[in-house]
Amino acid sequence: MQDAAVNLGIWGVPLAILGGALRVSAPFLFVSLGECITEKSGRVNLGLEGTLVMGAMAGYGASYWSGSPWVGVAAAGAVGGLFGALHGWLCGRPRVNDIAVGIALMLFGIGLAFFLGKPLIQPTAPRLPAIPFGNFSDIPQVRSALQVNALFLCGILLAPCLRWALARTRWGLILRTVGESAEAARAMGYDVNRVRFWATAAGGVLAGIGGSFLSLFYPGSWNEGLSSGQGLMAVALVIFARWDPVRCLYASLLFGGATALGPALQSVGITSGYYLFNAAPYALTLLIMVLSSSAHRTSVAQPAELIAAR
Amino acid sequence: MTAGAPVAADLDRSPSRHPLLAPRALAERALGGLEALLPTLGAILVSLALFGAFVGAAGHSPLAVYAEMYRGAFGTWFSVQNSLLRAAPLMLTGLCTALPARLGLIVIGGEGALVMGGLAAAAAAIPLQGSPPALVIAGMMLASMLVGALWVGAAGALRVLRGVNETISSLLLAYIGIALFNHLVEGPLRDPASLNKPSTLPIGDANLLPNLPGLDVHWGLAFGVIACIAAHVAMEHSVFGFAARMVGGNPRAARLSGLHVARLVILTCALGGAAAGLAGMVEVAAIHGKANASLLAGYGYAGILVAFLAGHNALAILPVAVLLGGIGASGGLLQRTFGLPDAAVNVLQGILFVVLLGSQTYRGRLRLRRS
Amino acid sequence: MSVPAARVTETANVETPAPRVAPLPAREPPPQLSAREMSKRFGNLTALEDVSFLLKPGSVHALLGENGAGKSTLVKCIMGFYKADRGRVLVGDSEVHVSSPKHARALGIGMVYQHFTLVENMTVAENLVLARAQLPAILDWKAEHAAIDAFMDRMPFRISPRRGVRQLAAGEKQKLEILKQLYLDSRIIILDEPTSVLTPQEADDVLGMLRGMARAGAISVAMITHKFREVQAFADEVTVLRRGKLAGRGKASELSTRELAEMMVGSEPPRASLTRSARTERAPARLELIDLHAEDDIGLPVLEGVTLQVSPGEIVGIAGVSGNGQDELVEVLAGQRTATRGELRVGGARYTPVRAETRRERVRLLPEAPLRNACVAQMSVAENMAFRDFDVKPYCKGGWLLDKRRMQQRARAAIAEYGIKTPSAHTAIGALSGGNVQRAVLARELSEDAAVLIAANPCFGLDFAAVSEIHTRLVRAREAGAAVLLVSADLDEIFALSDRILVMSEGRIVHECTAADANMSEIGQHMAGHAQAVDVSGVKSID
Repeated sequence: MQDAAVNLGIWGVPLAILGGALRVSAPFLFVSLGECITEKSGRVNLGLEGTLVMGAMAGYGASYWSGSPWVGVAAAGAVGGLFGALHGWLCGRPRVNDIAVGIALMLFGIGLAFFLGKPLIQPTAPRLPAIPFGNFSDIPQVRSALQVNALFLCGILLAPCLRWALARTRWGLILRTVGESAEAARAMGYDVNRVRFWATAAGGVLAGIGGSFLSLFYPGSWNEGLSSGQGLMAVALVIFARWDPVRCLYASLLFGGATALGPALQSVGITSGYYLFNAAPYALTLLIMVLSSSAHRTSVAQPAELIAAR
Repeated sequence: MTAGAPVAADLDRSPSRHPLLAPRALAERALGGLEALLPTLGAILVSLALFGAFVGAAGHSPLAVYAEMYRGAFGTWFSVQNSLLRAAPLMLTGLCTALPARLGLIVIGGEGALVMGGLAAAAAAIPLQGSPPALVIAGMMLASMLVGALWVGAAGALRVLRGVNETISSLLLAYIGIALFNHLVEGPLRDPASLNKPSTLPIGDANLLPNLPGLDVHWGLAFGVIACIAAHVAMEHSVFGFAARMVGGNPRAARLSGLHVARLVILTCALGGAAAGLAGMVEVAAIHGKANASLLAGYGYAGILVAFLAGHNALAILPVAVLLGGIGASGGLLQRTFGLPDAAVNVLQGILFVVLLGSQTYRGRLRLRRS
Repeated sequence: MSVPAARVTETANVETPAPRVAPLPAREPPPQLSAREMSKRFGNLTALEDVSFLLKPGSVHALLGENGAGKSTLVKCIMGFYKADRGRVLVGDSEVHVSSPKHARALGIGMVYQHFTLVENMTVAENLVLARAQLPAILDWKAEHAAIDAFMDRMPFRISPRRGVRQLAAGEKQKLEILKQLYLDSRIIILDEPTSVLTPQEADDVLGMLRGMARAGAISVAMITHKFREVQAFADEVTVLRRGKLAGRGKASELSTRELAEMMVGSEPPRASLTRSARTERAPARLELIDLHAEDDIGLPVLEGVTLQVSPGEIVGIAGVSGNGQDELVEVLAGQRTATRGELRVGGARYTPVRAETRRERVRLLPEAPLRNACVAQMSVAENMAFRDFDVKPYCKGGWLLDKRRMQQRARAAIAEYGIKTPSAHTAIGALSGGNVQRAVLARELSEDAAVLIAANPCFGLDFAAVSEIHTRLVRAREAGAAVLLVSADLDEIFALSDRILVMSEGRIVHECTAADANMSEIGQHMAGHAQAVDVSGVKSID
């Protein structure tokens, strides 16, 4: 961005938002796809914020020690899976509330990541490569905006794959059954707790990978202010996406754009309301939740077991 | 196992119990209370063991760490007072989660109410400068409680009026509150004289919250204790608490009894928010003397754990807040003595929270009485 | 539940549809199923004691008994839901140890539950495929739809595999449950009160089909019921249970209603006769519902203009298959759901179910499943009894402080008067049995004379003694001049208590008659609704 920036005037804002969306939406995407799997099984994991931060820390650490960012991604997924499994196991026990466990794991994950990540703040770890889609253009801002990370592309492919798998595979059918009616699933001989355990663990893997994106690509370093609620917003985003993976993708891009608003305005010199613009994604999430909920009815798309648990 | 069986019929099969003589019934209640307490005590012990293993793996002797923690928290009169200083806001933010929890809501946005309450207190002090300190303090308390009530009451209102999940919305509101706080402290409300650390105008030394007589602890502790006792009386002995417990136990039954569920939920959330807002005022008026980033110390989040550990019982919040205040107070000492990161305290709190919730599965299953 | 005997015989032989012989390919008959000397205890309670049961190949066998008699326990032991303490299960000649419902399915034994185990948000095809023991990793829906179409062609009735289960009527859902068992090739089908959600006509249709298939040697059927009519019209044999023990068995055609009733209730005293005064001229209505509309939880209309009046001193019964808006109607009356249109009136003035008005107009409500609807399980019996008046004198002092001692005193008196079995007044009400919870609610709601009493399936799941007591108290409230609205899915209850009968179907009142003119067959037809085949739920997407 430093080299000979062309003055795009006000057009710089949408371009920066687009570029920001492509960079920032990956964590939203992975966490929301993960939560989508978990919620389809009839359970809520609010702890993905903690999983995201743990994933970011583990990914950065593994990338630093091994020298390969992809090892970092794998480590982040593994750690995320462990957190998900812990949530799944705890909630499988009688009288344990999944919302409360989610909060506890959120606080635990953040605390643990800060503790273990203390020595990682200084060193620099190898970062994930980006694919330059903007080479056709001579404008540096366009080139910079279209630097798309390979991991994000995987996420974009994952969304339709997940939708297909939910509709057309055995495990998709079983997962939906457990989420729609635990009683029916039990009557058919499925182990509801086991299905939910694996669904939560899988959700944790994806959230962990989303975290590695934060530390290994954008912003691309490990520090304690790395995530501020992306994990939680992604959970809210699943409601907005009506539990459909492909709509999760669109919603992630929207949220990514909203998150990029503050930096985009800053890049064209509007700095006065910086903190307020940073609040835009939270306000957007809240607004969307208000608009897409109702006191008197529940969405038909919502897995029925989520309603029963309320 | 429940497939197809109507609930009522299942209950009908449960054996009916025989009447007991009154003294025995009393003894049963005492045992019942102990049974309710056991999982929590067990969870604390298990957490301490797990955290011991954790610091052991980090290369420190668990016993030495615990000894140091005790010294830092309750070992000297100075450290006890320091722990009490930290317990004061925890009592108030604990109420912010505990009160709505009695109505079945899980509110985790106390940090937002605290920050906004603190800011409101600092802002309220500006036009009141020159008035008698008692008036300034009363004004700050009122402003902080109003803003805190608004912040958490909004989450309650969204829940009952729009069906928005209060757990997520309260945390989002906290993030929004923090962003707004930063915006105002670094912008419109900034004291031009605060250079390195943007802050609001000082409230003035005369208006600082005084210490309790004979102690090195400010009046905020008394606010916390009074608030918890008042909350206990309200919940257990008042008409309001009775209605609130009905809503928390079974909203359908509450509606059938003609209660205005939405109003009760919003009011209770607002009360919890007022408590957390007051915590912000206490921090501003007794510790910092102005509102700045130091307010973001995580008391709001720690209050969630306080409420859960106390089983959302207002009286139980008192000892739990002191305990967690002590753990928090010992963090600095751990850092200095062992070089442990300050997040060590957060790890312990996280372990405690997770283990506590896991122990819920044993609630009501420990049988002390012989059948 | 038991019916005045005369009415049963009257209706039993009215409509037995011609058996529809299922066009299934001829094959060897299903194996014989026998359970020998089965016993099962739950804690101190003996649910089942030395009960034997034999299901002959190609027969329909009824298991008759009151709630809690052990019928469900017996079949759940056979299905592997519970492990019996003693006893053996044989399929054909070989003893089997059924470890789970899945295992039972592998043995060719399938069960249809009282409440549907269908997944509402899925299609018919998805529900059928899902039930299969072996699923391929990747599903080819085109091939599955074709296979199900071919399967449906061999069945006595068909449901399109592409339809969503949510759009099916209750009768269709029950048929789909049975189709599912046939699709899984179950040869022995056990049904738990299969007709409780059906109109009499739908029930006859479904049971007639099952009997036809049994006669053709395709399946054997065991069916749990407490309706004599179904035993006599459709069963070959009957086994009667009472309090966990065998109370009698025989050929259904050789047992009279009287003999069945004696086996079922044993030496229980007959239900207290419900003496009541003759109705005089109807007084002006005390409770009025005017053009009431409401929506269900996903925003579909469930009440579409309900208008009715109840006068002091009469019981108005609302009959209907459950799921036709009765629950929502009661919820609106209870203040648990807001009406989208229309109004309630009590004593001629507009009424909203909030505390002040409920108290002023003395409107009281006995809901079904009281623990779910009218109690807080973890609060004490005394506190639960104070729900109506904890905020007024003498239970509240100075406008805010609770007088817990007075609450206890009142509760102790009510416990004695209503015979509530509880360890003490401060025991959590959730620890009480269903009958005692309902008695406690009864004590609360009838503690002072009610002017308007709304009762919704007040006896669901209760034993004989509790049912009889509740009926007596409802009639007593009527005698005392209350306007009583009784909503019940149990037609016998409606017939036994009502002065006037209304029929509810698809959110509307579709029929009205006086008790004297009531005809069960006609009411059954109205319960089915005339427009049943037409899109019931309305396929409307909601966000």
